[in-house]
This record gives sequence, C-alpha cells and structure tokens, in this order.
Amino acid sequence: MPRIRACGVFLAAIMALRCSPVDAPAANGAQPAQFRPIDSTAAVCWDRNTLETAKLLDAIAGEYNETKPEELPIKLEYLGNYGDIFRKVSLSIQARELPATAVGYEPMTSEYVVANAALSLDDYIDDPTLGLTPEDKQDFYPSVLETNRFPQFGGKMYSFPFCKSVLMMYVNKKVLSEAGIANPPTTWNEFLEQCRTIKAKSGKTAYAVSVDCSTVEGFIYSMGGNVAEGAVTAFDQPAALGVFKLYETLVKEGLAYQVQPGTYDDREDFAHDRAAFFFRPSSHRPDAAQLMAARPGDWMMTRIPQSDVSKPSTVLYGPNICIFRTTDAHQRAAWGFIKHFTSPKVSVRWALATGYLPIRKSAASDPDMLAFWEKWPQDREAFDCLAFAKSQPNLVGWQEVRTLVERALSAVLSGLKTAEQATADLKRDADKVLAAQQI
Amino acid sequence: MMLRALTYAILSFGSIITIFPFVWMLSTSLKSAREATAPALTLIPDAWRWRNFADAFQAAPFATYFYNTFIVAGTVMAAVVVTSLLAGYALSRLQFRGRGVVFAFLLATMMVPFEVTLIPNFLLIRDLGWYNTYAALIVPWCANAFSIFLVRQAFLTLPMDFFEAARVDGCGHLRFLTWIAAPLIRPTMVTIALFAFLGSYNSLLWPIIVTNDENMRLIQYGLTVFWSEAGVQLNLLMCASTIVIVPTVALYFAAQRNFLESSLNAGIKG
Amino acid sequence: MHPALTLGIAIVAVALLLATRASARRALDATLEWCDVQLARFERRPIIIAGMLLAVPVTLVTVFSFFPLLYAVYISLFDTRRGTYIALGNYHRALADPEFWRSVKVTLYYAIGAVPLTIVLSFVVAWLLFRITRFRSLFRTVYFLPYVTSAVAAATVWRVLLRPQSGFVNVMLVSVGLEPQKWLIEPRSVFHLITGGAIPADVGPSLALCCIIAFDIWHSSGFMIVVFLAGLSAIPRQLEETARLDGASTFGVVRYVTIPLLSPTIFFLVIVSAIKSFQAFNSFYALVNARGEDTQNLIVYIYAQFYENQHIGYGASIAVIMCVAIVLLTIAQWRIAGRQVYYE
Repeated sequence: MPRIRACGVFLAAIMALRCSPVDAPAANGAQPAQFRPIDSTAAVCWDRNTLETAKLLDAIAGEYNETKPEELPIKLEYLGNYGDIFRKVSLSIQARELPATAVGYEPMTSEYVVANAALSLDDYIDDPTLGLTPEDKQDFYPSVLETNRFPQFGGKMYSFPFCKSVLMMYVNKKVLSEAGIANPPTTWNEFLEQCRTIKAKSGKTAYAVSVDCSTVEGFIYSMGGNVAEGAVTAFDQPAALGVFKLYETLVKEGLAYQVQPGTYDDREDFAHDRAAFFFRPSSHRPDAAQLMAARPGDWMMTRIPQSDVSKPSTVLYGPNICIFRTTDAHQRAAWGFIKHFTSPKVSVRWALATGYLPIRKSAASDPDMLAFWEKWPQDREAFDCLAFAKSQPNLVGWQEVRTLVERALSAVLSGLKTAEQATADLKRDADKVLAAQQI
Repeated sequence: MMLRALTYAILSFGSIITIFPFVWMLSTSLKSAREATAPALTLIPDAWRWRNFADAFQAAPFATYFYNTFIVAGTVMAAVVVTSLLAGYALSRLQFRGRGVVFAFLLATMMVPFEVTLIPNFLLIRDLGWYNTYAALIVPWCANAFSIFLVRQAFLTLPMDFFEAARVDGCGHLRFLTWIAAPLIRPTMVTIALFAFLGSYNSLLWPIIVTNDENMRLIQYGLTVFWSEAGVQLNLLMCASTIVIVPTVALYFAAQRNFLESSLNAGIKG
Repeated sequence: MHPALTLGIAIVAVALLLATRASARRALDATLEWCDVQLARFERRPIIIAGMLLAVPVTLVTVFSFFPLLYAVYISLFDTRRGTYIALGNYHRALADPEFWRSVKVTLYYAIGAVPLTIVLSFVVAWLLFRITRFRSLFRTVYFLPYVTSAVAAATVWRVLLRPQSGFVNVMLVSVGLEPQKWLIEPRSVFHLITGGAIPADVGPSLALCCIIAFDIWHSSGFMIVVFLAGLSAIPRQLEETARLDGASTFGVVRYVTIPLLSPTIFFLVIVSAIKSFQAFNSFYALVNARGEDTQNLIVYIYAQFYENQHIGYGASIAVIMCVAIVLLTIAQWRIAGRQVYYE
C-alpha cells in the first residue's frame, strides 16, 4: 500500500508540473513560445459548416491548394457549432497545439488574444506581396473589417471577416393582409401598431421571439443607441431601455411570445401563418424560402424597423476567422487561403450558394450577383444594409455578457422583471464582468 | 378481482406515458415536413413517408458514424467486463493488506464528475499522442468504479465454499474466474456490459473533443448535425433520432434474456 | 490499420470465437492456465496477485478520474487568466458569488425533486409489476425502454413535444380547456404558477427545472424498477404470507415487511442516485441548452466557467467544493441511513 501511495504522489507531481497553469495564459510579460501546429504537413482550418456548404468549402480549398503547390495545403476540419470550436481551441491552447486557423465570433477571438494564441494580421495585410492592395482594403465595407480591430489590444487586427450576414425582419405578408396591412413596418412605432392590429383583427400573436443577444444589439442600434462605450456597457441608456420596454409592452399586450432557444420554432410558426414577424440574420433566407417554397409571394425579408429611418442601423452576424501563432509556413498558408476566400470572385460564389452576403462593395457590380439579386431582390436589401450595419463589441468578456443579455430578455419576456429592473441589473452585472476582465 | 384490474389499469397508464414519446417520434418521422410541424393531435400520418428515413440516412454519413461507434462501444464493453471481473475478484476474494483502502479509493472516484475531468484528460491524450485515434475514445472508459463495485458485490454473495472447493481442486485464479465464477454472476456481467456499451454509445462531448476527423465521429455527433442543420425538417430530425435509438433498443432486447430480475440483486447486498 | 482498431476487432473476434469454438475455448483455457501457473508462484503473498489483477483497472481509474481531481485542486489555486497564484482566492470568490449560491439552490431543488420521486415511483411500479403474472415482461420492457435510449435523442423528442406554441402537450392542454404553459422556457417557480402568483416567482424550482426533473424520472426510473424487481424477488414469500395471516393489511405488509426487507436496495439506490443527481448535466444541456439561471445547476455552472467564460481556476474551485460536498453527503447518508438498513 505505501508503494501505491508513493507512486500516486509521484505521478500526481508529474501531472501537476505538466499542467502548470502558469505557462498557458500569460498575457503579461514576455511573449511565450509559439504553438505547435496540429498537423505539420497541412494548414488545418476548423470550421462549422456541414453537409452541402461543407462540400463547397472543401472544393474551394481544394482549388486553392492546386494553385499554391509551394505552400502548405489547407485542410478543413468540421467541428460542430461555434461553441464546440471555441471549447476545442481553448483546450488546444492549454495543450499548446493549435490548428493554423479557426472561425469564430469577436468575443472568442479576444479570448484567444488574451491567451496569446491569436496572430496579429496587420503584418500580412500590409505586406507588399502577400497583403491587400489599397483598392482591396477600400473594397471591404468598413464595419465588416473594423470589427476585427481590437481596441483593448492596441487596435490591431486579430481576425478577418469570413461569412457575414445582417439582422433582418422576416414578414409573413399573408398574416399582414389578414389584418388589412399592406406594407411591413419601417419604424418601431409602426411595428408595435401593426402587432396590435394583427392581434385585434386575427387574434394572432404577431412576433415570434427567439432570444438572442445579437438581435437585442441590433434593436438597440436601430433605436440609435450603442451597447458599449469603451469597456463599459450602455444598457442604462435610453436606446437599450427602449428595446426592453418594447419587449415588455409586446408581452404585456400578448403581441409576442418566446420560442425555445436553440430551435427554429419561430421560422416554423411563421411558415404556418401563426406569426407575422421573426428576426433572424439574412443567412436564414434560404431556409425561409424553402419553408415557403409553395407560396413565395406570401413572405418577404426586409430591413428591421428603425427609430430614425434616415439614420438606419442593424447588427452584423457571421463569423470571422483568426490565425494562430504556429509556424511561419502555417500562418502564411492560412493567410493565403483567407485572402483567396475573401477575394471578389470566391466571395460572390460563396454568397450565391449559402445565403451569406458577399463582403465586398465590388460585388454590387458582379454580373452573377446581379442576376441572383434579380431573382432575390430581398438579398440585395440585406447587402445594402452592410453599409450601415454595426458589429457587436469585440471586448474581452463579451461572451459572458451575451448570456447576461439573453437572461435579462428572458426575464422580461416571462414577466419576472420589468424593463427598468432588467436593464439596471444587466448594466450592473455586465459592467462587473467586463471590469473583472481588465488585464 | 377489482384490485387486479386496477393494477393493470395503473400499469397500462404508466406504460402509455412512458412509451408515448417513442410513438410520437415514429409517427412524426413518417409525416411530411408540413404535417410534422402542424399543431395537431393526430398520430397517424396522412401518408406514410418511409422515404424520410432514406433521406435522413443520406444527409449525414451515418454508416461511418455507426461503424466507429460499434468499434468503440464494443471494445469498451469487452474491456470493462474484463477489468471489472479482475478487480471485482481481487477485491472480494483475495485477502491482502490495503484491500479496503483500494476499494474506498475506487468508490471515491465515482464522486468526480465527468465534466471536471475533461481538461486534464484532454491534455493527457495529447501527450500520449492519442489525439484523433480510437485509443482516445476507448482507453479512458475501459474501467470504472461502478462496474467494479457491482461485480465485487455479486461475488460477495456467492458462498465462500465455492471458492475454497475450486482452489482445492487445483483450479487457478484466472481459470476459476473465467469458467466458474463469471458464469455464476452472468446477469451482473450482462448488466455492466450493457451499461458500458450505452455509456460509450451515448457519449457526445468527449468524442468531439478528442477527434478532428470526420471519419472518427461517433453517432451522437450525427444527431447534433441534424439539430443545427435540419431544424426546419422536424420529420427528418425524428428519423435521425429513431436511427440513433434503434441499435441500443435492439441490443437491449438481445440482452434482455439475461438481464433478468436477479440481475442487480447481487449488487446490493453484502 | 490503426492498432487500436486492430485490437478492438481482435477482442471482438476472440469473444465470438469463445462463444462458438471448442478449440478456441481450449486455447484460452491453456493461456489462462499458463497465467495461473505464473500466479501460483506468489500463492503465499496474495498482495502480489491482487496487485497484478488490480493493476490495469486501478491505473485506468487513477489516471482518468483521480488525477483530474488533483489537477482541479491544484489549478483552483490560480487565477488562470492572469497566470498568478492566488491561494484560496477562488474559494473566497465562490462563497461570495450569488450565482454560485443560486446554482447550489438549483442543484438541491433538482436532487430533492428527482431522487425521492424516482425512487417512490419506481418502487410502486415494481411492486405492482410483482403482483401480476401476465404481461409482466412486456411492461417491464416498456418501462425500461427510455433508459436504453440516448439522452440526446430522447431530449430532442421531449423538446418538440413541449414546444410552447405548437407542441403536442400544449395542444392537448388547450383541447381540454386548460391553459397552455411555456414549459422549458418558463423561469418562474412552479409554486408561483400553481398558487396563481401568491408565492413570488423566484421562490422554488422553475417550471423548466421541473420539466428536466420529469425527463430524468422518465429516463431513469426503468433502471430502478429493474433493481426493485430484483430485490422483491429475493424476499421470501412466506414472510409476507405470515404477516397476512396475522391480519396485516396490504399496506401494512408493504410498510412492515416489504420495505424493511428492501432497505439495502433502497439504500443503494438513494446513495447512487443522490450522487448522480448532483452530477446531472446531459438532460440540462440537451433540454434547455443550459442557458437560464433557473436551470443552471452546479455542473452546468462549472461547465460554463471552464468552457464558455474561460475561468478555469474558478471553475475548478467550484468543482472541488462540489466533490467535497458529495463525499460529505454520501458519508452522512451512510452514517444516518446505514443504521436503518436491515441486513438478513
């Protein structure tokens, strides 16, 4: 028995040394050693696409690899949803072994920066041979590009836009016409009035709410507000309060109901004419079209209502992609692929097949894109939103804040809290989270 | 008589509630996409669309998932049976110093929740170079305290004379264990084998974390692909759920003969 | 071919051969005999034999379950984001964290709801099953069915059944004139809903939590029913008959004969299911995506700290607190209830 105990202590000691927590996240002080690439013979990219879109992405990567035989080939690996990828990258950071690149949202990237795993892309972007030309830089919508610049980390670019869409309003025209409404709402006041009319005329609950932080952010933007200023949240300001008050009113009057998180029940109810509106990113357009395939004239996708129609805004969705600090060869290969993927031609091709938006201004004059928009004018409207859409804050800790926002909204929707209480609590808790992250 | 009728009525009611989700799942899986999402109480589809199953099966590489899952779950099952048998025997029938301590230690590991073990085990798998291999999916689950506990308790219920008699006859430990002792506690063995298989078959988090390759994925992952992608097609989602559920139910039916009422009885006494 | 794959196939093949071939049986027997001869050399020192038999299982359990605990203890002493040693800082933080205490509350609600209900229901069903002769195995199969289905697949079905708008359960409630419920997205307490608002909405388990409890009862009672049936079949018939002849009612027989004789079974189930209820995660995750505070138990909270919020050290400190709590609780159960257990 003492022998067993001795062995146990010995092994535990080895284990503890091996997993020393001090060496992994060391944002302060010297640059720690770089990370081992997960595959030394290929630049691995972790992505979330499945089924058809994954096949297309594989095809694009395959074509790219053929054009660059001198570089490491890109190898795509599909790892479940964004949360799965985030968890897996985080664990791999602990193991100090990373893929060349991975997709993710801004708050995830900022966690990678804290762990010193994400590579600043500025050197590549500005490189005379590998980088982007000034025309290229101009061709990206500024908001799409700027969201990858992290103010907490010296304003450097730590990720690059990958797939983009914007929050849109999906309108069931049949339900509207049942209530005698001709056009979808353009302002929030109109929206509320139409919900009331629908309730009065057809008894239907107009708005199927899927609780999602980005939607709340989009609403706040469209009411002329902001969600964070510096590293302090703005949930106590009139726009945020206005959004929560709107939800409070909608629920009190029976004009909105919540669907289960993680499901697409809002889309289904919409397709069954049980709801007039739902809010989802424009990338849901193909799914909605499939659901409404039998009667394409009965629905539309349009810009979300605004407080001031002359100064519209909405929120950006869609992942960015970041490069990890592995080897020069892996980093270069990853950057080459990202540049290729976001080039005008490929970006249009991806958009045509997936429902994501092309992220370059020049797409507006691409003949294929124009032909597509001829068929789907609503996608054109979504693309035009890119000019004024704003991204979510790219602050460290925002991932945690997102949960708080969703909880606050759930509390209002279920009548647990008033809008004032919810925003006050949210402001307090979210600021605490952000303050605790300051490094 | 009244009492008997009441007993049957209660039991029938309970079993209807128990089985209802499955009936509903099957019924929805055979409906058309539109009918499946309609708020109706009908359980009989308008038209029986067996094609749904073909569509669902093609939407994700289920064949690969099943192949991997059966290899992993089958190996884990075999390994758990062997390790539990060995450890259960040593802890019940061998007299040695520290036996109680080892047993208590094993029981204590039952208190450690799986989610906590994720990070260190992942790091270890990396260091061992097992990342993205079957070994990573199999080895960590090849022994567990609960199964050892059940086998030990089962052995304790057997009369000691058995052991003595066999030993006097010159039967060695392993032969005795394999040919005499294990068959005597066959229901317990079947039970732990079934649990091991189910545990492995139903794991979701760990396989995603230790594998990259599409070709290394297990079946529960296939279901989550449907979750995120085919949210629109409720009928196909239910097809996928059915596809995932059927093998374990079949296994249960196959094992049922051995999984008799006395199965866990042994595990509790002593 | 990968070695592990080869190994797996080999093991399965060997097992198949064993079941069929007498020669394979003989080959195995010879191998075992050879091993036994080697073992026999240590016949006087059983600790060596035990060591050999226990080596693999104990190593596996130590490496993959026990070391992680040590790791958690170790890393809980660090602020992992800044990489600094902070001694018991994380533990102080946990004790002052309202969200931690809310998760403790949810964990306790769940345990108090799930453990006794599952045990009582399973006992009743098993007891009824034991009285009947026809269809017994059919019923038993049906009740056990949920247990062998994957929690993810079963939860998918439940989620659809419990949808607030078009879910089967609500449609049925409406069709019989009852109020539809929000089920899995209802953060208000069931007491609040039952009393029509007399009890504040944040006192007691939420309806969503109760749905999770119901799901777990459905999912795991089959196991307990089988265990109870095993226990019941071991009770000598004449004991119950003697009691009945002495004039005891059916209820009296259950109360004074059946339950005391089943006490080892009940004790075993209480201990195991109490531990399991503290560690419940899958049903929380699969049913509600682990989002709301009202459905965040300790494991879900630890999981969020580990993998969503990247506070690994903090998450580890909560995990350690939880493990200590489970050990203490189990010891307490053993001490208190163990005395009541009747062994033949």
